[in-house]
Amino acid sequence: MIQKPTFTSTWKALLYLLPALVILLTFNIYPIIKSFIMSFYTDYDFFKDIVYEYGLDNFTYIFQDAEFWKSVVNTLVFVIGVVPLSIVISLGIAILLNTKIRFKGIFRSIYFLPFVTSVIAISMVWRWLYHTDYGLINYSLGLFGIEKIAWLTDPQWAMPAIIIMCIWKGLGYNIIIFLAGLQNIDQQLYLAAQIDGAKPWKRFMNITLPMLSPTMFFISIVSVINSFKVFDEVFALFDGKPGPAYSAQTIVYYIFEKFYNEWEFGIASAAAIILFVIIFLITLIQLRLGRSRIIY
Amino acid sequence: MKIQLKELSMKFDDVLAVNGLNVHINKGELVSLLGPSGCGKSTTLFMLAGLYKPSSGEMYFGDTLVNNVEPENRGIGMVFQNYALYPHMTVLKNIMFPLKMAKVPHKKAEEKAIEMANLVQIGHLLDRKPKQLSGGQQQRVAIARALVKQPQLLLLDEPLSNLDARLRIEMREEIRRIQQEVGITTIFVTHDQEEAMSISDKVLLMKDGQFQQYSKPQEMYDHPVNMFVGKFMGNPPINMIPVTFDHKNLSIQINGTDEKLKVTSKLNYELVSGNQMLLGVRAEDFVLEKLEGISNSFSAKVDLVERTGRDTLVHATVGNHAIRALVNQDFVVKPSNIVKLSIRKNRLQLFDAETELNLVLGKE
Amino acid sequence: MQRAAFSKGFIYLVLIIGSVCMLLPFAWMFITSIKSPGEVMMMPPVWIPEDFKWENYKEAWSMAPFARYTINSIIVTVLSTLGELVTTILAAYAFSRMHFYGRDILFSILLGTMMVPGEVLLIPNYVTLSNLGWIDQYQALIIPWLASIFSIFLLRQFFLGIPQELSYAAKIDGCNNFRFLWTIMVPLAKPALITIVLLKAIGSWNSFLWPLIVTQSKEMRTLPVGLTSFSTEAGINYELLMAASTMIILPMIILYFCLQRYIIEGVAKAGIKG
Repeated sequence: MIQKPTFTSTWKALLYLLPALVILLTFNIYPIIKSFIMSFYTDYDFFKDIVYEYGLDNFTYIFQDAEFWKSVVNTLVFVIGVVPLSIVISLGIAILLNTKIRFKGIFRSIYFLPFVTSVIAISMVWRWLYHTDYGLINYSLGLFGIEKIAWLTDPQWAMPAIIIMCIWKGLGYNIIIFLAGLQNIDQQLYLAAQIDGAKPWKRFMNITLPMLSPTMFFISIVSVINSFKVFDEVFALFDGKPGPAYSAQTIVYYIFEKFYNEWEFGIASAAAIILFVIIFLITLIQLRLGRSRIIY
Repeated sequence: MKIQLKELSMKFDDVLAVNGLNVHINKGELVSLLGPSGCGKSTTLFMLAGLYKPSSGEMYFGDTLVNNVEPENRGIGMVFQNYALYPHMTVLKNIMFPLKMAKVPHKKAEEKAIEMANLVQIGHLLDRKPKQLSGGQQQRVAIARALVKQPQLLLLDEPLSNLDARLRIEMREEIRRIQQEVGITTIFVTHDQEEAMSISDKVLLMKDGQFQQYSKPQEMYDHPVNMFVGKFMGNPPINMIPVTFDHKNLSIQINGTDEKLKVTSKLNYELVSGNQMLLGVRAEDFVLEKLEGISNSFSAKVDLVERTGRDTLVHATVGNHAIRALVNQDFVVKPSNIVKLSIRKNRLQLFDAETELNLVLGKE
Repeated sequence: MQRAAFSKGFIYLVLIIGSVCMLLPFAWMFITSIKSPGEVMMMPPVWIPEDFKWENYKEAWSMAPFARYTINSIIVTVLSTLGELVTTILAAYAFSRMHFYGRDILFSILLGTMMVPGEVLLIPNYVTLSNLGWIDQYQALIIPWLASIFSIFLLRQFFLGIPQELSYAAKIDGCNNFRFLWTIMVPLAKPALITIVLLKAIGSWNSFLWPLIVTQSKEMRTLPVGLTSFSTEAGINYELLMAASTMIILPMIILYFCLQRYIIEGVAKAGIKG
């Protein structure tokens, strides 16, 4: 049934949209444009809101800034460290949870628990777990004869520390999504495959994985995007510092530093735009890859 | 309340859903809007309800022009195909809802709702939620909700299509009973000709947004104005046999054969465009004989005999045209027999092959 | 038969080990929070403190203006959640049930902006708020978060699933658009609305970067921001830090265990539709 818009209906709809639109225009859409423009401010007075000069200086500065490149490398290491591991572990757990076992709901709730808790508060706990001398983790490793690791003060170990914590925190979300995906698979497919003589491993490779490919695709995109934006964890785990000797400085941390501590709004905006471009490009690449890999 | 539609049209983008409809509905009548899907019957109903604004034309309820009257002020009740009961409200709350909107005091609204529930025989289900009811019960709730405001016009949009066959017959009798008890003018949309025939005072048949015929159901069955109406009404469908008309002898010859029949009905010659016509005969209007020498008859070869218990359907061929005839169950015939067919008096239709109009003059 | 039992046992074993890993940080946080300073530093670690030092909570509470932080967090969470609920319901209704010029274009633009990471918005929003003179005030903490494209999208999808005939029926029954929205659509969308509210409340309670940036004075901080500054003050008194962390996490854990069905199902649905 087709109904046509009229001026009256548009006017009425606008009233319904007004509250949301005012907020979204001011705090979502305008800043996107503004941020883009600000990244070209080279000489300006923020307090008086006067721009004396536009240019590419911010971008040239960033591209020559070793600190920025370090943060890019750190972020990439973080993404590569978190995403694949997290997907493999959560898929494994989701598959186990999807079998005929008892206490499914309880297990599910437990794995999901970190999702609802404050990153900051939970990072404090991990800071304590990672404590070199009195931390539970080093103590446990000690039981296996492993030397104490200076998780939070040794630049070599700062990244692994962040990665482990983030995998732990993000596991529940991925598990829930995977479970939903698994439950969408038609059980008759498995019966058919079983009759065709497919053993469990074959069934996993030939039914579960292909049927799960859209879910997998979704999770990998979301995980990559979120991992690129890591900040809170770093800030809280290292007590407001980007890790020992900047060893855990990520791109968002770099933006934060330029903006909040150095008041370099132009440079910070430029860095934010670069972050957006990186995420955008990687998402595009994933979409491309996904299109050829998604089986159905 | 009497209803009058004048040149009513509805256009969606470039699709003409309803084209220049002129209809007059008398007070207290039950009129079926009948036609295949996409014929514009639901659109017409939605215009009557005020949910669609017509592109042109006028609608009168009583003597008032209602084109620009909002649905809630038209004094109508409506039952939807999927009933559209509010899922989170109990049966009682559902029925009371229109009264609540009209700011009827709670106590009085409740009394009226219960009264209405009793009329449709769901008085014992008032505390249930729609999900806990069967299809027929939901239907009754929907009718009660539509009637509780004591509307002047009741609109039903394919109300029986979601019910199973048995319930459908029960509910259509129910609807008729309630309609007559309340005495409300009712418009009933359906695509099922049998449903329309059985329930209505009058049937309005449409096709592709075009008005076809508006008359009493029996009249529409007995005297369809054109081939479409003839084919749409009745099951098994009417036989259509191409014939050539002989103006001199007032007889017809079945194309591709030597079989000739005399036409005794009066024809409207103004409508005749040529000598090619279609002979329309309903399956039950054939008379079959095995004997030779019956006057004004033609012979056909039997292909198949279907016995359905009550009567027997004979499939036969004349020339290369397949025909179907209903005969009494004690008439014994076998495939490959040759039978003689004649047509009951005044039960034949002749359609112009070009204009598809019925050339036989009606009773008027 | 034996193999089945074995593999089942294996599944339980893996899941239980995993669960222990998930729960251990929470357990350790709580255990530490009721230890005496001496026990905190003891090696091997003490699993059950000799006596439960609940006064750690009291001490942590009084060492920093946690009462104020809590009030701020509650105000911000409640107001931004309620506000978002209203704007979302209205906007989702317009996008799902009303016909107006530019509807599809506008909706696509809004969806498109979801691609942009929130960090990009940070700086211009800061400038906007400081021009408005809202920095270090509740407005800055609440108003930018009063609408969410994601929630509008989620609710619109739900609204689209409600049969159109209901609105026709209501219209004939004499119920106008606005009333129909609140008396029919909203009650029917309860599951979706609960999900939206819960996800928003959790996000709002836990949010950090934004409150960190727009607050300056201690009086305006929310719990997570307060906690980071407290962590410096607490220094090596981990029992106090853990007590404070527990206080922040606890409300969300309670909320979670009461309404986890809505949260988990909501995440699963929202995630899949993405």
